Amino acid sequence: MTDVFVVGVGMTRFGKHPDSDATELGAEALLEAIADAGIDPRVIEAAYCGHVFQGMVTGQRILAQVGLAGLPLANVENACSSGATAIREASLAIRAGEHDVVVAIGTEHLTNQFQGALTPDPSDPEAAVGATMPSIYAMRARRYMEEFGMTREQLALIPVKNKSNAARNPLAHFRKAITVEDVLQSRPIADPLNLHDCSPVTDGAAAVIVMSDKAAKRYGKGRAIRLAASSLRTGSVDVVPTSMTFEPLTANTAADAYERAGIGPEDVDFCEVHDCFSIAEVLRVEGLGLFAQGEYPAAVERGEANINGRLPVNPSGGLLGKGHPLGGTGVAQVVEVVRQLRGEVGDRQIEGPRVGVAHCRGGKAVGIEGAACTVQILVR
Amino acid sequence: MTLADTSFRPGELEVREDGTGNLIGSRCNSCGAHFFPVRRACSGCLSADLETVALSTEGTLYTFSIVRQSLPNFEVPYALGYVDLPEGLRIMGQIGGCELDEIRIGMAMVLSLEPFGQDQHHNPLTGYRFTPVEAQDD
Repeated sequence: MTDVFVVGVGMTRFGKHPDSDATELGAEALLEAIADAGIDPRVIEAAYCGHVFQGMVTGQRILAQVGLAGLPLANVENACSSGATAIREASLAIRAGEHDVVVAIGTEHLTNQFQGALTPDPSDPEAAVGATMPSIYAMRARRYMEEFGMTREQLALIPVKNKSNAARNPLAHFRKAITVEDVLQSRPIADPLNLHDCSPVTDGAAAVIVMSDKAAKRYGKGRAIRLAASSLRTGSVDVVPTSMTFEPLTANTAADAYERAGIGPEDVDFCEVHDCFSIAEVLRVEGLGLFAQGEYPAAVERGEANINGRLPVNPSGGLLGKGHPLGGTGVAQVVEVVRQLRGEVGDRQIEGPRVGVAHCRGGKAVGIEGAACTVQILVR
Repeated sequence: MTLADTSFRPGELEVREDGTGNLIGSRCNSCGAHFFPVRRACSGCLSADLETVALSTEGTLYTFSIVRQSLPNFEVPYALGYVDLPEGLRIMGQIGGCELDEIRIGMAMVLSLEPFGQDQHHNPLTGYRFTPVEAQDD
C-alpha cells in the first residue's frame, strides 16, 4: 500500500469576510494549494470538500470557480471535523490505489449564519432544554476544576497562550495578545467560561493536496510531508455515564492513529488540537496522551506548551486565536502542521520539529460521548 | 400552579393529568442497561429487546453551569446541569427551585414538571427542571 504525502497547502486569512462567501474562500485556498504544490491543476484526480452550513454542492461550486470539471467529488459533513474528514477520505482514496493526486478543501462562511453561541441541532433533547456548546464545555470545566483543583487563572492561561501565538500568525482572526486579567474580565458566557474562553465565529477556508508515493516523487520536490495516519472515530454510546473530564473518544482515535503511524505520544513534537473552548485544549492534550490526566493546566503554567516549550500546543493560535470556521478548521490545522514541519512560519516557528499531530473533535448527539473525532499524524 | 398536560417533548417526557410525570427511556431486557432517549438497540450487548420505561425522578448533580448567553427563546441567566440517575444515566436539565449561587456539585436533585415554552399556536407546554431535594422539603 502506498504512503500518503501532503504536497501543497493553502489557506485564506481567517476572520470576518463580509464581502465573500464559502465558495470564493474555498477557491482562494485551493488556488494557493495548487500554486504551493507547483502542479498543473489538471493532474488533480478527485476532490473532497468539508463544510457544515454552506448548503448543497459547495465543493462543486468551488471547483467550477477554478475551472476544474469532471472529477469525482464528495461533500463531507462531520460537524467541526468535516474538513479533517475530507482529508481522511482523500488519503483513503490514495491508499486504496484509486487515485494519485487528490485535493481536500474545508470551507465555512459562518458570520452570515451565527452571531452568538452555536447550539446543537434543534432535534437534540439537550438543545431543547437550553444546551449551548459553551454551556456543555463550561460544565466540563467546572467538573475538571472540582476533580483536579485547576484554578480559574490556570484555565485563563490557555487563551492567553493561544492568542499570543495568533498575534504572530498573519492569517489569524485575532492578532492581539491578551492577559489573564483580560480573560477574567471578559463577558461571562456560561460560568466559569467567559468570552475569551470561547473560539470566535469565523469565516475561512483551507485546502491541501495529497499524493501517492509515486506522485509525491514526481511533484514533491523534496517538500512533501508524510501523512502517516488519518484516523476517524465516532463516540461510543454510554452504557454507564463516563467521566466528563477525560475523553475516551480522543484517546481511542489517537490510539488508532499512533498504531498506524508506528509511533507513540512520546514521539510527538507539537500539536494542533481542537480548542473550541479553553477547557477543550486541556481535555484534548490529555486524551492524546501528551500529558497525564489532571496535569496539563500546571504544565501550561510552567510554559511547557509555549512555542519554545517542551511540547508546543496550538502554535497557530488554535481555534481560540486563529479562529474556527467549522469546515475550514481541520484542514487549516494540517496546513499549520505542514508549514511548521517545513520550517515556513517565521517568528512562531518551532525549532526543528519532526512529528506533528492535528486533532479535531466536533458535534454533539445526546447519549454519545462526541460525534466525530479525527487524529492526523504528519511526519517530516 | 396549573400545568398544561401537553409535554414539550412527548417522546421524552410523560406528563400526567395530575401534574406528575417522568422522563421516558429504554431498558435492555437482555443486559439491564438503560438509555435516554428511547433507543432501538442496546449499545452494551446490541440486543434489540428493549422496553420503554419510566425513569427515576431523583438523582445527584454531576456538574452545572450558569448560562448567560443563549438562544432567543431562553431567558438568561439560567442554570443547566447534568443529573446522574440510579439507572446509570446522566440527564441534562435546567436547575430550578433555588438561587443560582446555592447550586453545588453532588446535590440531591428531583425532577420537577414546570411550564416550558409554547407550541406554534402559543399553547403552553410542560417541560422539566431538576430542583434540589432540600428545596422541596421547605
